[in-house]
Amino acid sequence: MTTPAPTLVRLLVCGNVDRCDDGAAIWAAHELLADATAEYGLELDVHQCGQLDVVQVLDLGSGVPLVIIDCATGVDAGEVVTLPLDDLLAHPRGPSPHSSHALPIDQVLGVARQLSEAPIDGLFVGVGGADFGFGRTFSTPVRKALPAFIAAITAAIERLAGQPVPVGA
Amino acid sequence: MTHGLAHGPEPGEHNFDVGQLTRVEGEGSLTLRVRDGAVVEAHLGIFEAPRYFERLVVGRTPDEVIDIVARICGICPVAYQMSAVHAFEALFDVTVDPQVRALRRLFYCGEWIESHALHVYLLHAPDFLGYPSAIELARDHRAVVERALTLKRTGNALVAMLGARPIHPLTVRVGGFSRVPTRDELLALRPALDDALATAGATVDFVATLSAPEFERDPRLVALRHPDEYPTNDGRIVSNDGLDIPIGAWREAFEEDQVSWSNALQARTHAGEVYLLGPSARVTLNADRLHPLAQQALARLGMAERIRRNPYWSIAARAVELVHATAEAIDIIAGYARPDRPFVDWQSRPGATGWATEAPRGLLFHRYEIDERGLIAAAQIVPPTSQNQAAIEADLTAFAPSVLDLPHAEATLRLEQLIRSYDPCISCATHFLDLRLEETDR
Repeated sequence: MTTPAPTLVRLLVCGNVDRCDDGAAIWAAHELLADATAEYGLELDVHQCGQLDVVQVLDLGSGVPLVIIDCATGVDAGEVVTLPLDDLLAHPRGPSPHSSHALPIDQVLGVARQLSEAPIDGLFVGVGGADFGFGRTFSTPVRKALPAFIAAITAAIERLAGQPVPVGA
Repeated sequence: MTHGLAHGPEPGEHNFDVGQLTRVEGEGSLTLRVRDGAVVEAHLGIFEAPRYFERLVVGRTPDEVIDIVARICGICPVAYQMSAVHAFEALFDVTVDPQVRALRRLFYCGEWIESHALHVYLLHAPDFLGYPSAIELARDHRAVVERALTLKRTGNALVAMLGARPIHPLTVRVGGFSRVPTRDELLALRPALDDALATAGATVDFVATLSAPEFERDPRLVALRHPDEYPTNDGRIVSNDGLDIPIGAWREAFEEDQVSWSNALQARTHAGEVYLLGPSARVTLNADRLHPLAQQALARLGMAERIRRNPYWSIAARAVELVHATAEAIDIIAGYARPDRPFVDWQSRPGATGWATEAPRGLLFHRYEIDERGLIAAAQIVPPTSQNQAAIEADLTAFAPSVLDLPHAEATLRLEQLIRSYDPCISCATHFLDLRLEETDR
């Protein structure tokens, strides 16, 4: 009897730890990953991405379900949203990561989809940010929302993996 | 000083808002107020909280400053590190190993390749080809976008090789680098650079097929100029109207001023005149210093005058600089011998120092005062976008009347395209751009 291969889910962690709320996803990922997951039949392929980039998405390879996590603007501060990537592409003026220096996330994913041989699909989980200044503190709404943000990330991974995620958060 | 947005339109005026301006590095806003067919105000507003880097570095050591200022910008951190490290080395009378100097130029080549590839293909080309975004461009012109990614990968690889990671590099220090690559490590990049050089050549050919709106002016252009090299880290600050001052003497010719509509300081000459930095200025003022392959590319394009006079053709200047940067990177790697030590020792000394280098978007000036303890007592950081802001406003004022008879959406698009031509990096100046037109009497 063979053991089934673990389900692979790719977690792309966006943001900048030095820009207050923009570091929320990085903090959440650290909390989430405090417990190992592979032995439970789930393999999480985790990448810290900063500002998500087309090259990065393509070079990671396609065909693996993605969970992209980031702090977002366009939603109320502290609001946690989970969106299929299709919805993110369909509503480019909706929640978007608050950072600069590259294409916005809907265009990153849209271009990557155009160029990729295999599907690029999954979920975006964001928390609305309020303070993107310099520093490593979170605004009050984001700080209060962090447990819900982690829960939403966990739920997204479970949804794509089709099984519970045994994490401590 | 005008505060037009604080009031409603005056009699005979009407306004229109255009919302967000996309495909610009950072976030801000543009407001044009037009009366009787003439632009009476053009304000490039920058709303993000002012950047406190000039205060953040006070009390820090020079090597700490080099790490801190890299965080100002995600796409041109090398520029911030280079301006800072050269300023310190000038004060401390440090002479780096010639191979370290070459590696710093290579570092800059990587950053220019990354930045220009992103702008030419993914931020600017959609305007020329009539696409709303890079997604539609990728759908119809897959090969075009793949060229962008080929170049960007190569730029990323160069920066990562020298800086330990492609964004916010870690290895620059006063006197050199904390680590320098082996010759074999650099030679491993050669195949990718060969591909990138061919791709850069294809980029020039691609740009030659584009057409841009007619808009000509005679701007004051400012850039570094070096006796032997296309400028990156060294030279003198020159202009096309006769300015020629030492690299650290930016304040002899220019000054910063606060305007009500922007959190970023604007720079002008002491006489209050605007000036333009960046690829068009560099190519115009240094065409004879381009790598021979880039000189050939510029000649093939036949656009030197258009690059100087029409801001839309900055895309051609970037394409030429892509050829230059890839060709120079290949040459540097071919001549590289790993230095015995990655850095030389240095001694701090108190005093004031300034230096400018050529960021992808233009001249980036840093000035520091260092106290007896070797700590920063004061800092001034003048990014290229804050220097270009006033020139952008002046160009918009001149250009806008030519599009006012167009349908609103098309006029807006033309103005957006013009702003994107400067590749403004508002995160450097501070962060986000949102376009608002207040049109009067139409």
